[in-house]
Amino acid sequence: MASAGKKNLSKSRPGGYLIAVIGDADTVAGFLMAGVGERDGKKDVNYFEVDLKDTPVPAIEDAFKRFTEREDIAIVLINQYIANEIRPVLAKFSAPVPAVLEIPSKEHPYDASKDSILQRVRNMLGTS
Amino acid sequence: MSGAGARVAVVPSRMTLQQIKGRLAGAKKGHSMLQKKADALTVRFRSILKDILEKKEGAGEQSKDAMLALAMAKYAFGEELTVVMGESVDEEASCKVKMTPDNIAGVTLPVFSRYEGGGGAAGGLDGSKGGGAKGGAKGGAAGAGTGRSLAGLSKGGQQISECRETFSTTLELLVALASLQTSFIILDEAIKLTNRRVNALENVVVPKLDNTVKYIISELDEMEREEFFRLKLVCQGCHRENGACCCVLYWIRFARTGVVV
Amino acid sequence: MAPGSMLTFNVDDGYLEAILRGYRSGILTTTDYINLTQCENLEDVRMHLTGTDYGTFLQNEPAPLSTATISEQCTKKLVDEFRFLRTQAVEPLSKFLDYLTYPYMIDNLVLLITGTVHGRDISELIDKCHPLGLFDSMASLCIASTPEELYREIIVDTPLAPYFVECVSLDDLTDVNIEIIRNSLYKAYFSDFNAFCNRMGGETAELMSQALAFEADRRAINITLNSFGTELSREERSKLYPSIGLLVPEGTMRLQRADDSTAVGAAIEPYSVYRRLFQSAADNPEKSLEDAFFENEVALCKEMFEHQFNYAIFYAWLRLKEQEVRNVVWISECISQKQKRRINNFVPIF
Repeated sequence: MASAGKKNLSKSRPGGYLIAVIGDADTVAGFLMAGVGERDGKKDVNYFEVDLKDTPVPAIEDAFKRFTEREDIAIVLINQYIANEIRPVLAKFSAPVPAVLEIPSKEHPYDASKDSILQRVRNMLGTS
Repeated sequence: MSGAGARVAVVPSRMTLQQIKGRLAGAKKGHSMLQKKADALTVRFRSILKDILEKKEGAGEQSKDAMLALAMAKYAFGEELTVVMGESVDEEASCKVKMTPDNIAGVTLPVFSRYEGGGGAAGGLDGSKGGGAKGGAKGGAAGAGTGRSLAGLSKGGQQISECRETFSTTLELLVALASLQTSFIILDEAIKLTNRRVNALENVVVPKLDNTVKYIISELDEMEREEFFRLKLVCQGCHRENGACCCVLYWIRFARTGVVV
Repeated sequence: MAPGSMLTFNVDDGYLEAILRGYRSGILTTTDYINLTQCENLEDVRMHLTGTDYGTFLQNEPAPLSTATISEQCTKKLVDEFRFLRTQAVEPLSKFLDYLTYPYMIDNLVLLITGTVHGRDISELIDKCHPLGLFDSMASLCIASTPEELYREIIVDTPLAPYFVECVSLDDLTDVNIEIIRNSLYKAYFSDFNAFCNRMGGETAELMSQALAFEADRRAINITLNSFGTELSREERSKLYPSIGLLVPEGTMRLQRADDSTAVGAAIEPYSVYRRLFQSAADNPEKSLEDAFFENEVALCKEMFEHQFNYAIFYAWLRLKEQEVRNVVWISECISQKQKRRINNFVPIF
């Protein structure tokens, strides 16, 4: 449902919005270095480290749902190879905010053919 | 859709005719306005498409550089860099985004822009303002929280700085991309919606109203004819009895149409 | 008689020196590195490492291999070898080897402190600690859930207690930047270790004081350079400079007054070693000062092996192995990220 979690786009939240990261240890560490990390109390953080050998797929889906439902997250960065694991959940999510960006990881460079947004773009450019 | 026969169910009268005509004019005007809106949105949409493709490629390249910088930082500092970073997360992020609304043809598009929030100073080791402690002045977090910005003080500091820089640049690109992507999705929906409305107006509403108008006019004509005929009958009766026509209806009819029966 | 004396050394420590020299001969050579840099992917790296002293250490790891796994396993091998030496050692070598583990302990403790101050559950952090820096009472530290409890546990139970008592108070744990705590601890450690080596006398004292002087100076220079533009004031910075080293006291005085890298260059002008390192980093844009320091460290350590009947070779071996792990991981990263441009940015040892 497109309106699920839809944020009011004309009002800007005071204190700004956060950038969430779902990625492997290195991606998360890198963005934490740039300063996107925020810890709220004991457990609530806006990043989720994934190790495909250890982390079960439902946990990743759960993290994704949590981040997209939060009012204060405007962008969700997710490694492309992890996004592939939760493709169905990603496809169902169609709200414009938070923006879900697929980024490459150090072991899996960027593959434009898997990016769902880019597919739509290509289709548009192709048919127009 | 039975365009030919569909019409609004109204009682045919002059007043309803005016009403329906008014609605028809409104519908036609709305149609042209919506058409203009759809065109404006499509123009913006096209320009975004190309932009997105380019920026995505650029972001991919930048990511690679960032990852290499991270490897260099780990070389200088030690493998535990990722863990240390994870532990020194502040209570407030220093890198946040602001959302400013941009309006195109009545559609609100969010534009993301990066800004440095409270928390620890993100500039860290290479020339930031020393404002680390001011933002996170929540009791204990202040001192320990800015640990991130001094990480690598005695070992690997330069590399950590550079890594931070490259990731920052990547973030800038990604934030711009996010704006484009969100606009893309919103515009897509909006254009579909507007086109749907344009088509609906064009193919359903306007013909329906048109048909209604025609129907009313035809009904009104029919009613006039019936009226006319009835008057004729009444007047005939009147003439037979009185030799002249004294019925009010006759005179009213005469006044209205100038027809002498 | 000083334990470093030729007459009595082999009684207690000869076996271990022999083992150590065996380890030393297994350190990767330039040829090995050339082979590694020519690998196309991490599987090739695995294959090449099988032919070295590392052997089949990656045998049980499933494909696809990741650089994190390589790093983990290389470190594990290093730790296993060190532990073997440590369990067989007797006093005073055992104390010396303990001293070698203190820096890792400091880093681990700092990690735990950061976690506690942020209210995290630190039993999760134990897994992420460096294995060489683990000690028995670490488990009891996990029970601590607030900084106060942690502090009390630390000063009661751990080998680092004296350093803590000396320079870190309870309030410091929460108020002061964790990096300042880390570097204060290191300062105390250097002084302590240096005193210990000097008490041992003989070649050990000579070689180790040279090595520790270099480490201390390196830290001082780094602290100075990295503190420009941060909220670290000059006074705070000077408190972190170690009290040993060639730079003490004139060099550190000048460093304290330095405000940018040119001033730092001027401060170390009289010290030819560091001037040379600065120069080599300045001449080559691809090389950083850190790289120059690593190179110097490797050269120092290699030289230590030329001497016999001293404990400094244990220190040297540890440092060289660390550099080797760094090198292997760096090469693996470049290969896996397909960024071979900077692949030769490591320090070959033999």
